[in-house]
Amino acid sequence: MLYREAGQFKTNYVADQAIFPIRQDRIGMAIVLLFAWVIIPAFGTDYFLEIIMINFLFFSLAAIGLNILTGYTGLISLGTGGFMAVGAVASYKLAVIFPDLNIILVFLLSGLIAAAVGIVFGLPSLRIKGFYLAVATLAAQFFLDWLFLRFDWFTNSSTAIEGVPKTLFGFLVTGPDASPFAKYYVALGFVTVFALIAKNLVRSAIGRAWMAIRDMDIAAEIIGIRPLPTKLLAFAISAFYSGVAGSLMLFLFYDSAEPDLFDINLSFKVLFMVIIGGLGSILGSFMGAAFIVMIPILLTLAPDLLGLPISSDLAKHLEFMIFGALIIFFLIVEPNGLARLWQITKEKLRLWPFPY
Amino acid sequence: MTAATLERSAPPAQSEAPTPNARRNFSEELLKVEDISLSFGGVKALTNISFDIRKHEIRAIIGPNGAGKSSMLNVINGFYHPQVGTITYKGQARSQMRPHEAAKTGIARTFQNIALFKGMSTLDNIMTGRLLKMRRNFLWQALYWGPALKEELEHREKVEAIIDFLEIQAIRKTPVGRLPYGLQKRVELGRALAMDPELLLLDEPMAGMNVEEKEDMCRFILDVNDEFGTTIALIEHDMGVVMDISDRVVVLDYGRLLADGTPDEVRANQQVIDAYLGVSHD
Amino acid sequence: MDGTAFEFFSIASGFLGGLFVDPFIAFVDRPDKLIQIVSQGLSAGIMYSLVALGFVVIFKASGVFNFAQGIMVVFAGLTVVSLIEIGVPAIFAILLAIVVMGAMAVAIERVVLRPLVNQPGIILFMATIGLAFFLEGFGQTIFGADPKPVPIDALGIPDDKFRVLGDFFRKPVRIYQLDLTALIAGGLMVAAIILFLNRTKIGRALRAVADDNQAALSVGIPLPFIWVVVWTLSGLVAIFAGVMWGAQSQAGFSLAVIALKALPVLILGGFTSVPGAILGGIIIGVTEKLAEFYWRGVLGDGVEQWIGYVIALIILLFRPQGLFGEKIIERV
Ligand SMILES: Nc1ncnc2c1ncn2[C@@H]1O[C@H](COP(=O)(O)OP(=O)(O)O)[C@@H](O)[C@H]1O
Ligand SMILES: [Mg+2]
Repeated sequence: MLYREAGQFKTNYVADQAIFPIRQDRIGMAIVLLFAWVIIPAFGTDYFLEIIMINFLFFSLAAIGLNILTGYTGLISLGTGGFMAVGAVASYKLAVIFPDLNIILVFLLSGLIAAAVGIVFGLPSLRIKGFYLAVATLAAQFFLDWLFLRFDWFTNSSTAIEGVPKTLFGFLVTGPDASPFAKYYVALGFVTVFALIAKNLVRSAIGRAWMAIRDMDIAAEIIGIRPLPTKLLAFAISAFYSGVAGSLMLFLFYDSAEPDLFDINLSFKVLFMVIIGGLGSILGSFMGAAFIVMIPILLTLAPDLLGLPISSDLAKHLEFMIFGALIIFFLIVEPNGLARLWQITKEKLRLWPFPY
Repeated sequence: MTAATLERSAPPAQSEAPTPNARRNFSEELLKVEDISLSFGGVKALTNISFDIRKHEIRAIIGPNGAGKSSMLNVINGFYHPQVGTITYKGQARSQMRPHEAAKTGIARTFQNIALFKGMSTLDNIMTGRLLKMRRNFLWQALYWGPALKEELEHREKVEAIIDFLEIQAIRKTPVGRLPYGLQKRVELGRALAMDPELLLLDEPMAGMNVEEKEDMCRFILDVNDEFGTTIALIEHDMGVVMDISDRVVVLDYGRLLADGTPDEVRANQQVIDAYLGVSHD
Repeated sequence: MDGTAFEFFSIASGFLGGLFVDPFIAFVDRPDKLIQIVSQGLSAGIMYSLVALGFVVIFKASGVFNFAQGIMVVFAGLTVVSLIEIGVPAIFAILLAIVVMGAMAVAIERVVLRPLVNQPGIILFMATIGLAFFLEGFGQTIFGADPKPVPIDALGIPDDKFRVLGDFFRKPVRIYQLDLTALIAGGLMVAAIILFLNRTKIGRALRAVADDNQAALSVGIPLPFIWVVVWTLSGLVAIFAGVMWGAQSQAGFSLAVIALKALPVLILGGFTSVPGAILGGIIIGVTEKLAEFYWRGVLGDGVEQWIGYVIALIILLFRPQGLFGEKIIERV
């Protein structure tokens, strides 16, 4: 199957405004969805569904959220982990306080709470820019870390917050006893819907306003974009995505977590996903998440596969080194990320076999 | 064609457009600035400037580099706030406003140093000019459906008309960062036009262009002025162009107003000849 | 007023009083305590300043936001300590550490910076985060993951304490020689750096690069050389900071997280200002120790983990360029 758009004429703007204007992209997307919704759950092992897929899915959501803020609006944030913590803690509290609340609503409300927190910490962005803002977002991270540890109301006086068992359509979908199969579908449902929403947002007026602010904030203001509401909306939506991702992380993956799981290293992890995947690309968010999720898994598997027994300490240190080296390597090879590599490949394919 | 013949065909637009100032008469005031003074720390960018811009005219602002021309446009669209002076726009004294508020009142502009959104395509750049006119909130946009889609398409049609007008159909989907300089300037004009402005401020729209590109740009400016009735304030160094397309000219020098009148009057003004024409080569 | 409203009111006023009134009463009541806490804050602050200083040197000359500075401090400190541990005399250990940091600077320039020249700041910033990960893994492989005590005696650092002002207060104020040493030596270090930047040919070249890359190139200063120099320089600062910091507790990788405190110091002082880094560090160090001690009653432990960021944030709201940064002028 060749990647060509020749012969595909668009007769009206509706067709040109479609989410994937090129036919091969539409077919590709259909295949991806088929895999995600049917083939993977049908054939995947529990280990694969849980350790790889669910892990990948909630990180994708967090990466999309950060990409909206950093990739599309140009505001660097190091506070993603903090917003994910808000989502996780909020969903735990909501699920405990309102036992009858539908789990989907629990997640959505947690996202909204995270969004509200995001707006508060986004306020300085009106005056502070660039790295100064990045450091300012660390205030969110460290303050939230401290808050959840310090006041045990958030954890109901225990050391950990838990994924409360909940059912959906009669199936147990969260908590330690839920099957990876059910959890996978919940995660997939959220990611499918919110990835679509994100894609719609970034190709609409609000997305263009974000990118305008990113590319040249002064010119953006001069064509009538109000900087503060536009930036705050980016903060809010980004934090919403992070919050929901944090909820999914707790309820579908860890089941039980100490709040310090959501520390600054988590923020960095998501930032890596966005940079490696590609700033300003929804597809890139998925690619980056897949990459960063897979590295540690492969690194722990690799010594066994190669028959080199190494101590777990050394493995851990090597993982750090390889991780750091890979980041640098990728930045050097393609600073615009995996999504850009993919696009270049497509452009080459489009011209193949005649490169001129 | 050799360079010599190219040069002989300048100044551009002479043959096509009849000199407008001969046939046009304006009376209604759109914007008036009075006693504007602006300084940055010790630097006095503007001192006691007063002039007006009338509806439908093409008003040129000329002067040597550093004369304060760009600063004047920045004052008009609210990016700089003068320490002294009043601005009357559409008959109303204007209080200090932010640029986005000025945009809402129908003032659009282009920049001396291109200020496009480098990461976006030509189409998206021009679409940003429609942002003020788009009413659906982000929840609709998240769905990209129903009223949101309808609105998107309506504005897309307007933008396509501008793309046709500026003859840039071929670069519709190209990221503007990859375009040559002349085309970028054209896209920037497109973005300003997409705002349906009443007053269009153009800061050196032809700087750095070759003769052919200048001719095109002149034609666009005259057409915009003619067809849409847009009032235009224009900063330009090319005296040929200024004399050809402008109705009235303001001359600034070292932040002061040196002369104000029709191109012919200004050309005859001895002070202008001394101060400005002496350095017209820049 | 009904019961719940009253209860709320009294809790709120107790809380606000605890935040904004009680500390001042305590200041007056026990001035010796106040002085004690301030001096602790000073000694913590000077450490933040030293990390920030290494950062400023790099940012000023190359515009690189070096996130790995904290790890470099740990790495440098551990190099010295480990060398002494295996029997190298202190003076050679330090000299060797200088060589190591210089070699590291060369390697970083070759492998990381040169291929990324002309990339936007965020890409270089990400690369330094990658570098931080790499150095952490590398350092732990070499030195082991456990923190090491700094051999204070071998390095000749005095660690007694003075008791002063005993006549004035109920209890004398304790001043640690370690803190004094850090303060004095830190001051000398800063003076040396300022002299280097202003008085030497290389220093002036560095400042030329900071102002304008192109201009510097055109006067014939090779950029790679300058980068190696600034990274080595910040490596020197790191050795000093690592040893002094390690002497206060232990040299170990957990210090890297505390080194992040240098970041609010930086935004407070401005990314490019040497005096800003020093003063910013002291402001943050002192306020966080004060907050930790005097707000413990109402907020509990750990206020010092975030208060520095919040202070920096509040100051930024009023001066977006930091206390000493150059004013940001926007023009079109
Ligand atoms: N934002 C600013 N800060 C400081 N000085 C400025 C600023 N904008 C303009 N100036 C100064 O004002 C004077 C006029 O500049 P400008 O309006 O750009 O002139 P022109 O467009 O006529 O070449 C110059 O001396 C310039 O340096
Ligand atoms: Mg100008």
